[in-house]
Amino acid sequence: MSKHTQTFTPVWLLLRINTIQAGRRFLDTLAKSRLLTLLILGFTSGYVAFSFWLFYRGLTFIERFPGLGTLLTERLLYLLFGFLFILLLFSNLVISYTNLFRNKETSFLLTLPIPHETIFRWKFVESLLLASWAFIFLIAPLVAAYGLTRGVPWHFYALTTVMIGIFVILPGVMGAWASMFLARFMDRRGFQIGLLLIASIGLITVTFFMKPEPITDDVIETRVLAVLDRMLAKTRFTLFPLLPSYWLTSSILNWAESAISTAGFYALVLLSHALFFTTLGTLFSGSFFYEAVSNVNSRSNVFSHWGWFQKLQSRRQKFAYPPGFVETFLRSLRFLKSDDVAILTKDIRVFWRDTTQWGQSIVLFGLLAAYILNLRHFSQQLTNPFWVNLVAYLNLGACSLNLATLTTRFIFAQFSLEGKRVWIVGLAPMGLKRMLKVKFGLATTASLILTLGLVYTSCHMLRLPLDRTLYFTFGVAVMTFVLNGLAIGLGVLYPNFREDNPSKIVSGFGGTFCLVMSFLYIVISIVFLAMGAPWARSGTQPLHLLLLGWSGFAFVSFLVGWIPFKLALRKVTHFEISI
Amino acid sequence: MIELDHLVKRFGTLTAVNDLSLRVEKGEFFAVLGPNAAGKTTTIKILVGLIKPTSGSAKVAGYDVQTHPLEARKRLAYVPDFPFLYDKLTPWEFLRFTGQLFQMSEEHIRKTGEELIARFNLEPYLTKTIEGLSHGTKQRVAIVSALLHDPAVFVLDEPMVGLDPHHARILKDILKERSRAGMTIFVSTHQLSVAEEMADRIGIIHQGKLIAVGTREELRQKSGVQGALEETFLTLTAQEANLTEEISSKIQ
Repeated sequence: MSKHTQTFTPVWLLLRINTIQAGRRFLDTLAKSRLLTLLILGFTSGYVAFSFWLFYRGLTFIERFPGLGTLLTERLLYLLFGFLFILLLFSNLVISYTNLFRNKETSFLLTLPIPHETIFRWKFVESLLLASWAFIFLIAPLVAAYGLTRGVPWHFYALTTVMIGIFVILPGVMGAWASMFLARFMDRRGFQIGLLLIASIGLITVTFFMKPEPITDDVIETRVLAVLDRMLAKTRFTLFPLLPSYWLTSSILNWAESAISTAGFYALVLLSHALFFTTLGTLFSGSFFYEAVSNVNSRSNVFSHWGWFQKLQSRRQKFAYPPGFVETFLRSLRFLKSDDVAILTKDIRVFWRDTTQWGQSIVLFGLLAAYILNLRHFSQQLTNPFWVNLVAYLNLGACSLNLATLTTRFIFAQFSLEGKRVWIVGLAPMGLKRMLKVKFGLATTASLILTLGLVYTSCHMLRLPLDRTLYFTFGVAVMTFVLNGLAIGLGVLYPNFREDNPSKIVSGFGGTFCLVMSFLYIVISIVFLAMGAPWARSGTQPLHLLLLGWSGFAFVSFLVGWIPFKLALRKVTHFEISI
Repeated sequence: MIELDHLVKRFGTLTAVNDLSLRVEKGEFFAVLGPNAAGKTTTIKILVGLIKPTSGSAKVAGYDVQTHPLEARKRLAYVPDFPFLYDKLTPWEFLRFTGQLFQMSEEHIRKTGEELIARFNLEPYLTKTIEGLSHGTKQRVAIVSALLHDPAVFVLDEPMVGLDPHHARILKDILKERSRAGMTIFVSTHQLSVAEEMADRIGIIHQGKLIAVGTREELRQKSGVQGALEETFLTLTAQEANLTEEISSKIQ
């Protein structure tokens, strides 16, 4: 031990090195690819500008509603921050769990002379920032648009920023505690199943809660007011005075109204709770955190004490030669060769055994499915063909955007994930070219089941005639092929064999490019599909617009889907395996 | 310096460490051997405080790692087989960071750091970020950072993985020197030659139990086999496996 010592607090040291690291990552990105930087900047500023315009127009429209404008806007903000709290809680729970218990830095720090409380505090701050920044970025244009519609003074924006900063601490502390509690008492699989269960229960609750009552003839006479009345009644829960979102919203609204003392009161209520729970959370969580870390690293399966599980395990230990269900099913498909079956079986098994992968897919498409299934309640209110059409196109867009998220997150990374193992397939007789085709086939088939199912259901719920249903399902089928082709193609053109973590692979240039291209393709395609809709001709749609729509859709699909995939096939033909 | 007292660690129904007791003295070089999944890494994880034992205790320099973790960790250094390093830092920045965490002065960090850097030939890499270094070079950076604060107890898990013969030799020499100077060294390895060449005493863990412990000669006598340590190791683990099988067949 040194006799000449100097004192640095561990948190300061960690802050310093992590700031250095973040700075270098940023500079690296700038140096490596100016195009990536421009893409990210363009996309984020595009989002901010577009969403601000959209929110501003929306809020101005609502504000004009006679007698109820202000009330509706206020309720909208209460709802926004109420749901933001729930989303932040969920996000903090997941990120805290990963950051506290599945993080190599945490294990490293635990072997150094740093108190457990300090490690927990550091990881808590890190998780809070990681879990919250995107949500703040997403809602910022709405808050700015609200300020502009109300003509608030400059200090409104300063206060709102500070208040939101304080607000996010509460779900952060709760998320961190919940993750520690779950880590202490549940294993990883149990945790994931538990999360999905909670999400499903939440989804079902929301589905039933949002279910409208049947509309009578009397109500139709005064339909708008009745619907508004019900909507306000259904969302009254956001006015519960013990909710942190209520304190935040009340403070912001009162500040906008220049009721400074009331705004200050709610701001102080929020601040005192944030301080109290943060102090409680960061001062006394150290030993519980260590217990949880030890448990996560020590635990076998959560069911291991149960007799049935032990019997199942011992049965599994006896090796069974017959192929499993997936392989048997794939073998029954006569058109597949045995090496195709091997690749497909491997990919399906890997996907199935990684709960995070299918968990995220279920959450994304589950939310969309719940929304589309609920359309049946609105179909009787959507009597105007314009709105029916608009909703159908929006559903097509939402479904494709969801798919684009999944193809970028999972399909893009497929080739890179083969990583150091790429030689196994690369040197096998099937070669990389056929492997890509097989992967494309699997990804597209799985995606088609989801997208065709959802878009058909959407059309059915909106009671669209057969020709329109076919038009939308055809459109989404083409888009599914294109988005998968793009993701696989760019995944090969911009591989990253050094990373095992798919989220890091996706965060590089190729992944960002894939996401941006997918989004642009979807927007352009929907515009072309709308132009090319045959039923629009009955109105004022000239024939050349219709043809332009179809040819434009075909051209952009070819450009975005086929070309990257073709280039990828050409690249793997001469691929040098240098790993 | 290291005291493991009736250490037990269970993962559900599996007992990874089974009533393991061991004492390693100051300045002793102790090597622990064992087949895969024998419980070596679990024992090390308990010793460095990464997991809690189900029962029993582990002490480093007289401090219980559970009840006095900070005191124990101040006197301890640990290098796992795949150490964690901050990718975007340079080796020198990483060394300063660990030195400062152990409250060393700038002057002391620089003096000790320079000496170790020179011995491990890390000078050409000091300005490069760690992400671009080879596995062996990263391993050398981790070892230097661990030795920087001159720990009383040095725990290494497979330290030779990724090191070229030249740097493996340097590491062996340094470990021997430090051990002579009073540092307690606890190494887990599959390389029997390392244990044979370096260790004062060797422990063999099999199925969570410390089945044999002693000098190379004592182990040889216990196994009843002459020749290299490999023969001794294989005989002792086979004897233990046969014994376990015999007991379980009698129980059935």
